[in-house]
Order: sequence, then structure tokens, then C-alpha cells
Amino acid sequence: MTRIACLYVPMFPLAARLRSEPELLSEAVAIVEGNGSAAHVVAATRRARTKGIRPGLTLAQARSLVPKLIARGRDVECERTAQEALLEVAESFSPRIEDAGEGMVFIDVSGMERHFASEKDLGDAAIRDSEDIGLPARFGLAASKLAARIAAELPKSPTIVEPGGEAEFLAPLPLARLTPELDAASTLQRWGITSIGELAHLPESELAARLGELGRDLHYAARGIDPRPLIPRALPPEFREGMELEWPLVALEPFLFIASTALDRLSKRMELQGFACKRLELTMTLEPDGYHARAIDLPAPTRDTKTMLTLLRLDLEKTPPGAPVIGFTLVAHPDRPRRAQLSLFGPAALSPEKLATTIARLVSMLGDDRVGMPQTVDTHIPDRYAIGTFAPPPPPNLRRGPRKSRGLLAARIFRPPVAVEVITRPSRENEPGEFQIAAIKSDGDIAGDVRTSAGPWQLTAEWWNPSPVDREYWDVELLQGKSYRVYRGDGGAEWFVDAGYD
Amino acid sequence: MSVTAHLFESRLPLLDPQPAQAPPVRDDLARLRASLAGTAAAKMTNGAELIRALEKTRREESIPTTLAPFDALLGGGLPRGKMVELTGRRGAGRFSIVMSALAAATSMGEAAVLIDLGDHLDPRSAEAAGVDLRRVLWIRPHTLKQAVMSTEMIAATGFQLVVLDTGTHPMRGRRVPAVAWVRLGRSAEAHGAAMLISTPYPLTGTASEAVVTAGRTRVQWLGRGKSPRVFAGVTLDLTLEKHRHLRPGSNVSVTLSDPSLPDDSTTRRLAHSS
Repeated sequence: MTRIACLYVPMFPLAARLRSEPELLSEAVAIVEGNGSAAHVVAATRRARTKGIRPGLTLAQARSLVPKLIARGRDVECERTAQEALLEVAESFSPRIEDAGEGMVFIDVSGMERHFASEKDLGDAAIRDSEDIGLPARFGLAASKLAARIAAELPKSPTIVEPGGEAEFLAPLPLARLTPELDAASTLQRWGITSIGELAHLPESELAARLGELGRDLHYAARGIDPRPLIPRALPPEFREGMELEWPLVALEPFLFIASTALDRLSKRMELQGFACKRLELTMTLEPDGYHARAIDLPAPTRDTKTMLTLLRLDLEKTPPGAPVIGFTLVAHPDRPRRAQLSLFGPAALSPEKLATTIARLVSMLGDDRVGMPQTVDTHIPDRYAIGTFAPPPPPNLRRGPRKSRGLLAARIFRPPVAVEVITRPSRENEPGEFQIAAIKSDGDIAGDVRTSAGPWQLTAEWWNPSPVDREYWDVELLQGKSYRVYRGDGGAEWFVDAGYD
Repeated sequence: MSVTAHLFESRLPLLDPQPAQAPPVRDDLARLRASLAGTAAAKMTNGAELIRALEKTRREESIPTTLAPFDALLGGGLPRGKMVELTGRRGAGRFSIVMSALAAATSMGEAAVLIDLGDHLDPRSAEAAGVDLRRVLWIRPHTLKQAVMSTEMIAATGFQLVVLDTGTHPMRGRRVPAVAWVRLGRSAEAHGAAMLISTPYPLTGTASEAVVTAGRTRVQWLGRGKSPRVFAGVTLDLTLEKHRHLRPGSNVSVTLSDPSLPDDSTTRRLAHSS
């Protein structure tokens, strides 16, 4: 048995705008369409409606009624992202959904009775989830798309039409509910037909003979029959949020304030789908024309708004757009958050999501080359290293003891190597060209007379490069007891300390 | 002053939090246990109790560094849920102990983190020391304040060994307030992480469980007389300056060999005896 739900947001242009600017919720706001004298109201908040603002009024008429009316134009970007958000709420209930546009979505909820105590509970959950993303929605459930839509448009929500009860449900409703823009409305009014039930009682063939194909379709609809199947939509590859601004922004802080609410919305939408953001793209519309786009690769998939905002701030501070911003779009490329199977008897595993968020926050604080997994580089040059993405292998299932230490001495690398002056003396063999290090001098605290030195250890590497590495290394022990690794550079004149034994 | 401090501590206990209350045993489980004989009832446990018992056992364990004298000084290794401070001047062997701790923890399959303020880690020598680099998160902050913030953030992530090496003297960045170390100690306790602070001079004050000082070092050379010399390693002296549960003042010596020496016991013995 097919059961189709309809999630519907009344006055969608207004709802989409209020979702982006929630501070306007308690104000007298009207959404207008058109320019100049042709600008007319398409939706208004409750406060404006109580003062007489109705859809269809021109902006001048509306302003004469409410001088302090806040008028906002229709924002295509806001409406598109609000529609996407509504679709994602629907997808959290069923993978088969149809985008009906303008704040309406159909959901195939057949077979979901096991997940909810009743169909009303399902409706309540859908309304609650829509409100969570800032869209006040209504819910209707019936066996066909038409009946579900009409049920959703009723003020009482959720409205559940029992299976087979579509005709009975529609009968008392006015004809305008069937199709708001009905071409044959005046004809039917002349016949004295005012409700859907009265239309359903007319003979189908007589209606078809007088009104043609339209009459047949109307008769089917009045009996609750809707042969149109639900056309499921494909999953979007990315999540978008954005808005057009009323005035250009030149400072970073106000822009970040608006961007943070957009990131919040993105985060909630990704959470609904079980996704996390792995790449964030920002496109800014500049004044008077042009765009500025940038992409931020996150170190690990995350939904943490604070982290994403910090990375955005750092990136904008580094390369500002260079012109006032009058609109923006944020695109989040989703990825599945990392999951791990925790073990009872093995070492404690890290929570992948918590780790990803912490690493992203550390990267935003320190820079992306300052956090990661240390890696060795295939070369003989001692101070070379690489840093990679930290993705530890899973811990063993059972505890194991530590491997016994070999008791090795570690070298503390100095980056960059410390330039020093070296005093030499002939080696004990008094052979020409052979010497030992007698003292080290420098501006810092790596200085002093040398008690013992050993070397040189020759290092030649990367001979295929135009400037190969050719060094002579010594180990030295100063009189104070500290020991260092010293090398003489390629030219033979400069000396450096590149590590201390610690 | 001390009276005020005592009053403050009595009102706001900073270091000795109240032990967590065990959740009550469910009625049906209590009835079932009561109906069984004593031995069988003692052996019966439910999942929640098992998890709590395993967690309690885990927290009571230490992470050994496998440097036997150092572990003996601390009563078995780095205690989980506690902060241990290792102080010593440059060249005192602190970094080698840090590497040993990382090597031991990662060889057990634990994830470890090194907050390396001085950017001193050489991944190649760490790998040679037995550190499983795949299980090490390397953080290189610019200042001491950033290092402490990073340590606190990362300790809450679930790493079992958190090592903060503040590099060599002088430290970059301003000194952090003493309360920051108390917070780190609390963080280690809350998340069951073994925290090792390696620093050239004392920083953590009363917040740490134990303080070990690396003192005098003796450099070992291989070869004498006319034969060419080879740097063989160092012997360092460690002193337990403070411990909340052990008597302070103990001294041990640790011998560390140069990793470039062949892994040959004869060579090492020669080096150590010379």
C-alpha cells in the first residue's frame, strides 16, 4: 500500500528569508517581487499581516499602511538553499523523495510504520525536524500526491488521510483547494458547484463531454485518484548555503557573523544526512562586479562550525577579497565521518570524529604544516622530514606489552642549524690535513671548549642535483658535559650545529 | 596567606575530586544474584560492570618507558591519569626518555602525541628508537601558551600518552599561569591519559604527580689512545624530586647508547666500560 507524505512550507519566500535572517522574525517584514512601481508583496510576517499587509499589495500601498515596514526582495539563493534543506529533512525519513519546488516535497513513507508508533508521530517528527532547520512546515499524509498536498496545505497539521478515505476527506473542501488556478472555476461556479464532493458526484462522462480532458482530470482528482507516480530525486553531491546581502560588506567581522549562521545551517544539514565536511568552498560576489572564490581543505571531515569558521577567518585574513562583498555561497563537500569499532580488551581507540575536530582546531590555531604524523624521507641527509595526515591504524584487539627499549640516545634536531665558529687543532698524529675541534664559539649558548671530538664522518648525497650535499660531521663533547653534532658545510668554511644529544 | 589558601582549597578542592559514584545495581540483577550461591554470584557480572571494571583496571596501570631505572623511580612507569614532570638542562637526556616513552606506548598499540615546542623531533632517529610513527601525532606550536592549549585540547581526545616537550632554554612565548598546569593535571585525570612534561626548568609546581630531575651526564667514548674515537652514548643521573605516593630523593643512573653503534652487546659493553 503506497503512502505518500507531503511536507509543505507556507509562504516559502518569507520562510526562506527568515531562515537566513532570524532576527527579523518578530518584525513587520514583507517579501516583495518586481522593481519600482511594479514591486508587490508576495508574503508578509504575522505582525505585518495583522496591520493589513496582504499578498498582491504594491510596495507603496503596503508602506502607506505600515510606514516602518521592512521590505526584502525575493532572494533566489536563500530560497534554493532552504529548498535543499527541506529536501534533506525529507531524506532523513525516506530515500525516495520528490522535489515539488517552492517549499514542497513529497516523501514515499510506505513501510515506515515499524519505525514510528503512528503516522501522526511520523508527521510530528517531520515538522519538528523542519523547525530545527528554521523552516516552519506542515505535514499531510495520504495514498496519493494530490491528497497529501491538500492535507499538508490545511492549517491543522499533521493531517493524516486514512487509506481509501481520500474521496471522503476531499468532499467537504472548497474547489479552490483542488487547484488554486482553476480555468474552469467560473463555469463550475455557474453550475452551483462549490465543493470537491459536489464535483465528484457529477457523472464523469457528462463532465468530460462539457469540459473536455480537463473535466475528466478534475473528476479523477475530486475522487482522490492521482495516477502521477512519485519521481525520486538523486542525492546532491554537495551542500550549499548562501545569501545576497542588502548592502556591501567591507569588514571581515560582519561577514564572518553572517557566514557563521550559514555554516551552522550547513552543519545541521550534513548532520541530518550523516555527513561531515571535508572541503569548504566560498564564492563571494563582489561590488560592482566579479567574483572571488577560494577552497579550504579540512584536515579531517568535521561538522564543527567553530573550526570551519576559524579556518575561514584565517584564510580571509591571509588573502582578502579586495572589494566589497554583496553576496556569498558556501559549498560543503561531504564525506562520511570516520567511524571506529571500539574494543573492550585492547588499548583505547580514539574517537575519529573528536580527533578530526581537534586536529582541525589545532590546524586553525597553528597552521596546516604544524600538525600531523611525522614521516621519514628516503635520503641520507639527517635533518630531512615530512609531515603527513594523522590516521593511526586501529589498535590491536588484545592488550600487548611494550617492546623492550634498546636504551638509545636521541638527537634533538635544531631547525635551522645553528651557525657557529669552530677553532681547530692538529690531530694527535700530526698528519697534514687532519685536525680535531678545540672549541666552539657562537652568539648563543652553544659554545665552549671541546673536551673530546670524533670525526669527520663524510656525507655526500643528492649528487645528481646542481648543488649536491657534501658535509663532514663531527661529534663533540664540551667541557660542560653537553654533546653536539657539528658539521662543516659544502664550501668548507661554514660550520653548523644541527643536533644536540639529549 | 596560607590560611586563605587552606580555606580556598577546602571550599574548592582543586586536586582531589570526589570519586565518581558507582551507579546503583539494577533490582532484577540484585534479585538474581541473591538467588545464586555465593561463588556463582561473585563470578556473575553484567556488561556495564565489566566495562567499568576494565576501565578501572586500565586507569590503575602505568605506561612503562621500558627504561628500567626510570620506571623503577616512578614505581612502574608513567601513571595513567597523572602528570609527571621531567626537568633537566640541555643535553641531560630528557629527549631520549621522551622517545623511549613514545616507543613503548606505540609498541603497545596506544596512540601518543608529542607537543614539540622546540621543533626538535627527528622522525628518522625516532623510528630507529622504536617509535611507531603511524601512531604518533606531532604538534609543533610556536609559543608555550599555544603548547599548553594544544596539550589540553589533545588530552581530551583520548590519547593515552601525551608528551609536552618545551624544548631548550629559553622558552619562546610568555610564561603561562600556574593554574594552566593545574588544568592540565585535571585534564589528564579526567581522560585517563599519562602526561609527561619535559622541561628545562620546573614549571608545573604542585600540579604534577611526580617530578624527576635529570642531572649530571657523563659522555661515553669508544676508542682511546691513538685509535680513532667514536661517540658511544651518555650515562645520566636521575633524581626523584617529588612524588605523591613514593619517598622522594631516590637516584638512579641510565645509560643510553648512540643509535649509530652496531647493535652488538660487546661493542656496547666496551662503550659503557670505557
